[in-house]
Amino acid sequence: MNLSKENKLDFEELYTTYWQKIFRLCMGYVNDADWAKDIAQETFVSVWENLSKFRGESSIGTWIFRIASNHCLRQIERQNRMPKSELPTDLELTGQHSEEKEENTVLLYRFISELPEMQRIIISLELEELPQAEIAKITGLSEANTRVKIHRIKKKLTQNFANYDQ
Amino acid sequence: MINEIDLKKLWGNQKTNAPDLAELFQRVDKFKKKRLRTLIKLNICLLATALFIGFVWYWYQPEMITTKIGICLVFLAILIFLVAYNKLYPLFAKPGFELNSKHYLQQLLHIKAKELYLQKTMLKLYFALLLLGICLYLVEYTSRMELLWAVVVYSVVLLWIGFNWFYLKPKINKKQNIHLNNLIEKFKKIEEQFKTNQKP
Repeated sequence: MNLSKENKLDFEELYTTYWQKIFRLCMGYVNDADWAKDIAQETFVSVWENLSKFRGESSIGTWIFRIASNHCLRQIERQNRMPKSELPTDLELTGQHSEEKEENTVLLYRFISELPEMQRIIISLELEELPQAEIAKITGLSEANTRVKIHRIKKKLTQNFANYDQ
Repeated sequence: MINEIDLKKLWGNQKTNAPDLAELFQRVDKFKKKRLRTLIKLNICLLATALFIGFVWYWYQPEMITTKIGICLVFLAILIFLVAYNKLYPLFAKPGFELNSKHYLQQLLHIKAKELYLQKTMLKLYFALLLLGICLYLVEYTSRMELLWAVVVYSVVLLWIGFNWFYLKPKINKKQNIHLNNLIEKFKKIEEQFKTNQKP
């Protein structure tokens, strides 16, 4: 790989900034910590391989999220892996009500991973606080369609929590 | 009751340590080597066969035109397959991860359709040319044999090709086609999700 030292530094910065975000997106998609780490790593391998080709037509974040979303979609080809509900072993939850928080976090990721594929990606990007215009650019949906979908998915997730509480 | 703010808070709770960068770069190398190995393996296999045939031509100096046409047809079969495979390979390895999801899915569908085409049409063409080539190639040598031996040689060759064509090829094709069609169906289902009125 003939990338300059400057590129390598740029990459290290991107890796530090985006690792958690990309991991969460993958985790929302498969709900399996090891598998999610794998996809996140594959994403950064693609980022590294294509960084010199990035022309700044979109923000670097949008570009990385696009690569990650597509790596998630490609998991359909790995038929042997079955998702399971769990938290990464190195997850740290501190403070009051941490048990409840932990349970709700597990539930949220489980509910998301049970949605249809594109909806998993859309809601993960929304919860990552990406502007809806950016989400539309990543997925290829129209902005209006994105907005409608986000609204419906949130309603569905809240409903799932309510049903679970009963 | 979980509201929208809670969803975002809960979402943010999920954290994991980023693996060391050295591990990532090892993975980059591993991927590169794997891609190269796959490409080299097939090319070397088929090119070695082609070289062997070339050597036969050079060493035995065939006299009849049927032998020469036979060798050319086998060459052509190998060449066509190699060109088609090598042209498609970059698509299989790097299917355009930078595209938006909608275009990426279309690209995946396109790739899978090409893969099906490679398996069905190209493999048929490869076998047909190979069969014709070998049969023509044998004419010169069997014509020097007694009739009985000539019949035996042709029978063995035809039986071997027949076994490949009627048993092995359909068996492999069926398995791969089921897998590919399965994937195409799943990709199409995801494509459906882009429609506005689809509910969660």
